[in-house]
Amino acid sequence: MEYVSPEGLRLDGRRPTEMRQLRAEIGAVAKADGSAVFEMGNTKVIAAVYGPREVQNWSQQMSDQALVRCEYSMANFSTGDRMRKPKGDRRSTEISLVIRQTMEACILTHLLPRSQIDIFVQVLQADGGTRSACINAATLALADAGIPMRDLVTSCSSGCLNRTPLLDLNYVEDSAGGPDVTVGILPTLDKVTLLQMDAKLPTDAFEDVMQLAIEGCKAIANYIKEVLQENTKQLECRRGL
Amino acid sequence: MAELFLFEKQTQQNLKKDRMAAKPATTSTTYSPIDPIHKTRPPIFSNSDVDWLRPDSRSFHQCRPAFFRTGAVNSAAGSAYAEFGNTKVIVSVFGPRESKKAMMYSDIGRLNCNVSYTTFATPVRGQGSDHKEFSSMLHKALEGAIILETFPKTTVDVFALVLESGGSDLPVVISCASVALADAGIMMYDLVASVSVSCLGKNLLIDPVSEEESSQDGSLMIACMPSRYEVTQLTVTGEWSTPNFNEAMQLCLDASAKLGKIMRSCLKEAASDVQE
Amino acid sequence: MVGLSEGEKEFIKGGISQDLRADGRKRYTYRPIYIETGVIPQANGSARVRLGSTDVIASVKAELGKPSPMQPDKGKVAIFVDCSPTAEPIFEGRGGEELSAELSGALQHCLLGAKSGSGPGIDLSSLVVVEGKICWDLYVDGLVISSDGNLLDALGAAIKAALSNTGIPRVHVAVNAADEQPEVDISDEEFLQFDTSGVPVIVTLTKVGKHYIVDATSEEESQMSSAVSISVNRRGHICGMIKRGGQGLDPSVILDMTSVANFVSRQLIEKLDSEIAAAEADEDES
Repeated sequence: MEYVSPEGLRLDGRRPTEMRQLRAEIGAVAKADGSAVFEMGNTKVIAAVYGPREVQNWSQQMSDQALVRCEYSMANFSTGDRMRKPKGDRRSTEISLVIRQTMEACILTHLLPRSQIDIFVQVLQADGGTRSACINAATLALADAGIPMRDLVTSCSSGCLNRTPLLDLNYVEDSAGGPDVTVGILPTLDKVTLLQMDAKLPTDAFEDVMQLAIEGCKAIANYIKEVLQENTKQLECRRGL
Repeated sequence: MAELFLFEKQTQQNLKKDRMAAKPATTSTTYSPIDPIHKTRPPIFSNSDVDWLRPDSRSFHQCRPAFFRTGAVNSAAGSAYAEFGNTKVIVSVFGPRESKKAMMYSDIGRLNCNVSYTTFATPVRGQGSDHKEFSSMLHKALEGAIILETFPKTTVDVFALVLESGGSDLPVVISCASVALADAGIMMYDLVASVSVSCLGKNLLIDPVSEEESSQDGSLMIACMPSRYEVTQLTVTGEWSTPNFNEAMQLCLDASAKLGKIMRSCLKEAASDVQE
Repeated sequence: MVGLSEGEKEFIKGGISQDLRADGRKRYTYRPIYIETGVIPQANGSARVRLGSTDVIASVKAELGKPSPMQPDKGKVAIFVDCSPTAEPIFEGRGGEELSAELSGALQHCLLGAKSGSGPGIDLSSLVVVEGKICWDLYVDGLVISSDGNLLDALGAAIKAALSNTGIPRVHVAVNAADEQPEVDISDEEFLQFDTSGVPVIVTLTKVGKHYIVDATSEEESQMSSAVSISVNRRGHICGMIKRGGQGLDPSVILDMTSVANFVSRQLIEKLDSEIAAAEADEDES
């Protein structure tokens, strides 16, 4: 199947290095300490952060750092075909773990000993790149909750189909069986915190693909910063400053 | 499985024998919510369907013969067997026992209810219908009647087993569970008697059997405490106009008052047996 | 979990008995309702309903299936509710299952009607494509995103809005031998709309102290003695009822509640109709 037309356009009309439309909104869940909606094209996720708060399960309490927990869940209607899977299937457990590890690496956990931070991500629509979208939403929600972080974490995926590196794969491109590289970076510190890849990719091509994903992450980071600044301005306004 | 089946069959037979023996002693086990004296009041189904008979040749406002017996399960703290026509259930009550460690401290007791069907309860093997919902309904119907403050930090388990499903399963389970709770000596404000009404066309049928339930246009189930005259659980499905709804509710309340008397007499009988 | 001090509890109870609640509402006033339709493009119909800080999404998906042999002339509708842990941390893992099951059951009770299929809500016979062979199975999924009390009413409203937003593809049936499974061709362009005027609304009356209130917040719900959810359709008929909460109720109170629900439902239906119409107009524009 042809994923990139001779004119250099992808199935949904994007250029190979073009990202889908981003949209973010802070404060979608009123009762949570921090929350955000993040959309990448048709992929839409909600993240809510509860904490820092008292550790629920006493035996998990750590005296020198905070406990970070994460749960990833998909809505029944999030995929094209309606699914009725029990909660906690292997895929969700794996993604929960990936998100938890990524976020834990950027939270200054040593500042919040004996406390617990819960991150819940809920996929409303899945159209490829849910992992990345969840991490981006979680970053925004953590920032909204005012939890100290080393830096923002942003994530983006890229792949390689028809020998062309492609940025931000959608569901059709993702399920084409080509390589799928998900990268998470700390944009200001310029460090990679997450790198996942499946399928095979020549080493020299990998550098290009990964570079593309990093560019994508940086673009998302800029957008997220804008959203946060806008949000802060509004908060200032409301306080009458 | 085969052994269990045999065992259950035997207990059933024994119980049946007991009932045969007990029957002459008790007064009529059939009850009707409407006083025979007031039978002259106009029927609600005026035009058609008047001469239509119910599958078990009861009249519309007549309940099935109700039979209760306590002490059906020896190992339980309290238990009861109930038989309404073809609907046969056993409820056993365990506890109060210490709540699981994982549960938070609570200054009132907990109630844990579970309703299950035997594989042979329904005509098609292993098709016990939505009993997951039944468990929570049973819980809601009973929790208002039990004085939970009397056993803090502890849990009472109520396990209901539907041996044979013959319609109105949930009301029978609820009534039987409250007899079992009384048998276990759990403090209650009152017994909970439960009755359901089916609406078929214009007619209201009390205590419906399975066939009637499967073709009903609406149903109303009430669980109430007859002496306190309080409703602990109420579910309605189907479309009801207000006068129709009022009538059905009154019908249920009258029937459950009568059912409460039968339950009480069963408990009294059991108590006098012990004294002898 | 709602943690309230004794003073706060008294304040809530006192406010309700004086017909002035903590957020300035009267006993029978709803919080502002916001409806957005078409939020899930992949579904046949969807809606998001916000009631104060309660936030729910409902989606309707239609799949072709086989009618049950008992009722060959009727389609099937199933309602499932899921409670996202974003709403309440205790819903994590299997923690939300109990509430999900309770809400699904209550919605089925209140919206789908009795076993014979007659009654309120969705006209099941309109879902049949070929009698006894093919029908539409409607899967209604609710998702609780944020919870601040009165989930059942919000879900009921969201399902009503999602159903009126639903387009079922027109199906062309190829005529062939009677005993074979007929071939069907699903149209991508032509969609049939549902008549949702008969879908009832759910009004939950929460009893706090001697009085009952509509649209309770989670703080108010924590003080309830019992709650009765009554679903009422446009004609003022009761289409379902379910009771929650421990304490028993006097039958006369229940009858009184039904008349209150009847009164409140008329305003609620009107409000929902105008909101749904506005949301649909919004969606068409964008």
